[in-house]
Amino acid sequence: MLDFILLYLDPGTGSLIVQAIIAGFLALAFYFKMAKNAVTDWVLGLFGKKKITEEELTNDETTQ
Amino acid sequence: MKPLNSSFRDPSGFIFQRDNQIFRVVNHSYQANYDLLMSKLYPALTKAGLLIPHTEVGFDVTKNINQYKLLQAEKIPFISYPYEWSFSQYQDAALTTLAIQRKALEHGMTLKDASAYNIQFHRGKPIFIDTLSFEKYEEGSPWVAYGQFCRHFLAPLALMSYHDPRMGAMMRDYIDGIPLDLTSGLLPFKSRFRVPLFLHIHLHASSQKRHANSENEAAKNTRKISRAAMMGLIDSLENGIKKLRLKTNKTEWGKYYEETILSDDYLAKKQMLVSDLLENINAKLVWDVGANDGTFSRLAAQRAYTIAFDIDHLAVEYNYLKIKEKKEKNIIPLLLDLTNPSPAIGWNNEERDSVFKREKPDLVLALALVHHLAISNNVPLNKLADFFAQLTSQLIIEFVPKSDPRVRTLLATREDIFPDYTEEGFEAAFSKYFTIKNKQKIEETDRILYLMQT
Repeated sequence: MLDFILLYLDPGTGSLIVQAIIAGFLALAFYFKMAKNAVTDWVLGLFGKKKITEEELTNDETTQ
Repeated sequence: MKPLNSSFRDPSGFIFQRDNQIFRVVNHSYQANYDLLMSKLYPALTKAGLLIPHTEVGFDVTKNINQYKLLQAEKIPFISYPYEWSFSQYQDAALTTLAIQRKALEHGMTLKDASAYNIQFHRGKPIFIDTLSFEKYEEGSPWVAYGQFCRHFLAPLALMSYHDPRMGAMMRDYIDGIPLDLTSGLLPFKSRFRVPLFLHIHLHASSQKRHANSENEAAKNTRKISRAAMMGLIDSLENGIKKLRLKTNKTEWGKYYEETILSDDYLAKKQMLVSDLLENINAKLVWDVGANDGTFSRLAAQRAYTIAFDIDHLAVEYNYLKIKEKKEKNIIPLLLDLTNPSPAIGWNNEERDSVFKREKPDLVLALALVHHLAISNNVPLNKLADFFAQLTSQLIIEFVPKSDPRVRTLLATREDIFPDYTEEGFEAAFSKYFTIKNKQKIEETDRILYLMQT
């Protein structure tokens, strides 16, 4: 049996479908991260520390 | 006015070059997306240094009825391609693309293209150059560029990390990214235990295989991808990419450089001589071929934009990490094998230029290189001289004679079939094309440094 993707077939469909398959898991992971960040910010807030903004995070990632 | 071959696929517009400036035509079909981009996302991205800035040019030079706007984009001094990047350069290019997608989503847009060719290195950092890659984000829709992102970024990086950094060269063969079924097969079984790699390479590859025969209708009818899932997708790709590492660690770096670089004294003397030669040279773009960790590229970079080419992946990687650490803006380190340089690839072999069809240097540094080309690779001296003469009008070149310990090592395992490889033979070959303007012996060695001009 041929066990490979024939080159003239479009792999695009599979790329869209796999996103739908894993969407629930990814959304859950995202909500978990948001909750974790909210708790971290709240704890830092108790100690009077400044929140880290998304802007600073992004800049930090690309200029590190 | 002829569109550049790198932009012919895009129905939203095209790029052309005139008087050494880069212009971009935006077609009417892209009007709504362009206006949306310019309202908020463009200022945010350019402020963060993530997107190449442009100015709208207020006249129609193209007489093109489809034209909505004409833009003049900031010019990148030297275009490079993913197969010329070291691991960390590639990783930063990937993270930049994801940072842009995240910012785009915040402003109601999404990347419709996530090609690695849309990233260039400029002022020491990766920057996105395709202004027309953004479109309005419709909540619930999947990321159309997801497959492309995985092929162009995640697949090569995973292969470089799990196997060998030289796997990046596969991008030369696969212009639209390394196919995921191929990547999945090449990665070791343990890569499946990393969630991002399991999802975005292995599961993704089997989904492509399973649905290769399906009509696109099937994809349209699938469940919607919520905004949270979309943000989770970007997070997951980002986590996966950030955790990938090269197998070498810092101590190995140190050892590697102790072994490859000659004595500090020799380096210091050569640095003084090269600095003196550079004093009297006018150049905008310098190529340092065989740059190793960029010691001499840094001297050139004080005066001109310098491309530090080397064949050795670890040397390019080390140079890039140093550039990042010191925030150097004038050097771009790139991988290049001079004996098999980056060819022209893509449609009609003209979509991506060969390295010699790109911006030519005004000065070439070729230090401690000639013996590798002439002796290890059997390139006759007259061929070498001809090669350099085609490339540049100014050349700083080091001749390493047969009496040098390095050359003796090279000759130890092979027959000496190089009778002309002498100081006289070298000068005779190069004098056919160049005038020798300056000649300096490097003290306590037999090596000679030349400044030549055509």
